[in-house]
This record gives sequence, structure tokens and C-alpha cells, in this order.
Amino acid sequence: ACTVEPSLYTVKAVLILDNDGDRLYAKYYDDTYPTVKEQKAFEKNIFNKTHRTDSEIALLEGLTVVYKSNIDLFFYVIGSSHENELMLMAVLNCLFDSLSQMLRKNVERRALLENMEGLFLAVDEIVDGGVILESDPQQVVHRVALRVLQSAKEQIKWSLLR
Amino acid sequence: QEARIFNETPINPRRCLHILTKIIYLLNQGEHFGTTEATEAFFAMTRLFQSNDQTLRRMCYLTIKEMANISEDVIIVTSSLTKDMTGKEDVYRGPAIRALCRITDTTMLQAIERYMKQAIVDKVPSVSSSALVSSLHMVKGSYDVVKRWVNEAQEAASSDNIMVQYHALGLLYHLRKNDRLAVTKMLNKFTKSGLKSPFAYCMLIRIASKLLDETEGGHDSPLFDFIESCLRNKNEMVVYEAASAIVHMPNCTARELAPAVSVLQLFCSSPKAALRYAAVRTLNKVAMKHPSAVTACNLDLENLITDSNRSIATLAITTLLKTGSESSVDRLMKQISSFVSEISDEFKASAHKCHTIAGSHRCQKRGWVRLQASHRGLHHQHHRGEPGE
Repeated sequence: ACTVEPSLYTVKAVLILDNDGDRLYAKYYDDTYPTVKEQKAFEKNIFNKTHRTDSEIALLEGLTVVYKSNIDLFFYVIGSSHENELMLMAVLNCLFDSLSQMLRKNVERRALLENMEGLFLAVDEIVDGGVILESDPQQVVHRVALRVLQSAKEQIKWSLLR
Repeated sequence: QEARIFNETPINPRRCLHILTKIIYLLNQGEHFGTTEATEAFFAMTRLFQSNDQTLRRMCYLTIKEMANISEDVIIVTSSLTKDMTGKEDVYRGPAIRALCRITDTTMLQAIERYMKQAIVDKVPSVSSSALVSSLHMVKGSYDVVKRWVNEAQEAASSDNIMVQYHALGLLYHLRKNDRLAVTKMLNKFTKSGLKSPFAYCMLIRIASKLLDETEGGHDSPLFDFIESCLRNKNEMVVYEAASAIVHMPNCTARELAPAVSVLQLFCSSPKAALRYAAVRTLNKVAMKHPSAVTACNLDLENLITDSNRSIATLAITTLLKTGSESSVDRLMKQISSFVSEISDEFKASAHKCHTIAGSHRCQKRGWVRLQASHRGLHHQHHRGEPGE
């Protein structure tokens, strides 16, 4: 009987692709796809198989892929086929909901590109080296976005002083 | 392009932030940085620690992590990171720990051991989680050092925070996994003292399954009872994990499978695609060895044939092929031929596997043969081949 080795390492990759299937963001946590070339080939493949449907989950290249799309963005969380699919969905939802709050519901390509540091920091708070670090989007937003709010305040302050 | 590493200017946080963001973005896109460039960036970054801008500091941590493998002399940032890790700003402590541990080797680790132990039992959840997860990453390289932090991890496991519980449990397991007795004791303790974290529960279920498997424990063991009790957990993730664990156990009787199957049956009508997928995928596995256990779900499975998610529909059909009657096979064939071309290779493979395992049930063989025929019929559009064997 083959029981899988219990492990905290559950996430293989987090990806965000745009409407053309091009990479906006990709973090791979193990060497399932060791080279950039293989990674991009994988991304192209899953994009082709998922961008037309809006079902949330598929088995592709032997891996469980959970995904969500919004306007012109496609979010993916990848895990091995042994992983608990709901756990992977929890990561996906946390990422999406955190970004949604940070971008004030404008989860689309342009807004994301203008706030890449927020994205980088958010993912950093959600998954660390393949281990799920946080699943509550409120916590993630809290730990990341202090400055974002502050800078808005500062901008107002400066504009008033001018 | 990458030569804008000259952050020597009086520190303008927003511009520096912009540069760091750009660096990380380029790395992310697959651009390669040379060792010299990376090392220069590192040196420049030490200056950035002088700024109090929070986002800039956080981005420094990230850049350190991203460049840890390509830059030389990374240890120059160690003292800055150690300072942040033990400083007053809670927002910095977690990420600083994680960045520091990315660049630490065994010798350095012993130098900060005291801080790590304090961080693990820190009351701030993000600090504790960061310390626990970083410790986990370092188990591979510095097992002997991390092993000494078992007591702190044990204490962290009694935290109220659901992620800290999960991380503590994970670290404890990874540290003890070669000692079966220790693992058993740990399991007994945690299964009795009800952890709250659904993630921790999933981990416990997996550990329990593995133990049962290794010790070839009978299904009257408390481990099995624990897993079975998880079928009644409030959280779907845990319920599913338990059902999946039971299904994968060798030598399960139909009676033991029944509660797991009925839970999966409920999931088949969930509005969440992921849950339907997980359920039907697991039922498919049950059907391979115990098709009779799944027949109760046939109606629910038939509803899934028209699911908008192709994977779910396909799995429903392959499951029904194993459990359905001969008359239903015809109907199934018609449905499946409409999208056979979209089935990914894995399902073709699993459908084939189910055929070989199914044994001598006539209807299954005929079903598979007809499936192959309609598959060929799709590929060679005009050829309606005779069902071969």
C-alpha cells in the first residue's frame, strides 16, 4: 500500500498568467520544472487547457491544478496529485481575496502591474518554500499593506502642504 | 539594464522600492543575474536598511531571499536581519527570520539559536509561524541543531492560532518521523487534546494513516477511530482528508468504507467544483476495488456526467463504468464520445487501468471496448471500426 509521506510541503507553484497565457508572476517551490523553458512550457499548457472553461480544478501533467480567473488574469495554485484539493483551494482563495482587498477589488492586469510589490509581499506571506504560511486573507493584508495605506495618507498630507 | 544597482543616492524610498520591485520582477520572468551584479546589489542593499520605510524593508528581505543563491558574501546582511528579528517592530520580525534562515548555514545557525528558540514560542503568531517554518526548511541541512528545539516546538503546538498549530505539528513530525514510538505518542497526545486547526487535522490524519500502514494496524485501533471521527469534523477539508485516507487503506471492508463513501456522496452535489472533483476522484478509486460499495452513489454520479468541468464528468463516467449495469453502459458511451478528444492523457490511462483491474465483468470489458471504438471513431472520422478486443 502506498501512503504518501505526511509533509507540510504542499504547494508546488503559484502562477498568475495574463489573457494571452504569458507569465505575470510565477513562483515554483520545487524542481518539478527546473528550467525556465520547462516552466514556460508548463504554463502554456495549463493555460491552453483552462482558459476557456471556468471550472476551478483539473489534473494536468500529473499535477492537481486549481485556478480562478478574473477579467484578464488567471490565478493558479499547483500541487501534487496526492494533495488535498481543498487545501490548495484555500491557498488560491487566500491569494485572490488578499489581492482583491489590496487592489480595492480591481483584480485586473493593469492594477496588478502597478502594485507588483504588494503581490510579491502577499505571496511571500501566504506560501513559504512550499509550506502554507497563512490562510486568512485579513492576516495577509494586515502584514503586507501597512505602507500602502500610509502612502495614500502621506500623499494627501504632502498635497495639502504644497 | 540591470546596471541600475547604484542605490548610492540619498535614499529615496520610492525610487529604491521601484528598483527592487523591478529586480524581483525580472528574476521572476526568468532573467538571469550574474554573480557580480547580484553581489553588488547585495552590498547596495545594506544601505537601504537605514531607511525606515516599511515596504522598502520588506522588499529588501524579499530581494535577499531571491538572490541568496546567486550572490556571494550574503552574510553581510546577517547582522541587520538579526537586529530586525529581535527588534520591536513585529511587522519585520517574521519576514526577517525567514530571510535570515534562507542565508544561514549550520555554523551561523548555532549563533542565532537562542533567538530562534525565543521566536518559536513568541506570542505573535506571524513570528512563531515564520520561525517554525524556517526551522523546518533547515532540518535537512542542520538536523542536529534544529532537533534541540523540540521543546519549543511542542510548546508552540498549544497555540490558539490555527496556522501555528499546523506548523508546530509539522516540524515535530519531521523531527521525529524516524522514531515510530515518538510519533505514536505525539499522535495520541494531539488526537486527545483536540487541535483546532483544520490544516493540523489533515496532517494528523496523514500521520495516522502512515502509522496504520507501517504497523499494519488493525482497523480496530484508536488510530482508525480517530480518522473515522474526522468524518464528522466541521471543516470540509478535514472531512475529505479523512474519507480519502480511509479509501486508500488496504484491506478495508465494505462496512468500514461505508461512512467514507456516504460523505463523498454528499460532496458530489456540492456547489464547489473542487469538492465535486475530489469526491468523484476518490469514489473512482473505491470503485476499482469495491465497486459494490459505490453503487449507492450511482444516481449522484449520473448527475455529474453533465458537469461543466470535463475532468469531473469523465471521472463520473469511468466510475459508473465500473459500477453500472450493462444497460447504462450504452447511455454512457454516447455521452463520453462527445468529448473523448478533450480527455487528457491521464484519464485515458486511468480508464485503461480500470479496465485491466476490473477483471472478468463482461459489461466493463464491453464498455471499454466500445469506448475505444468510439474513440477511434472520433479520430478517424469516417472509420467506424468493429470492436476489437
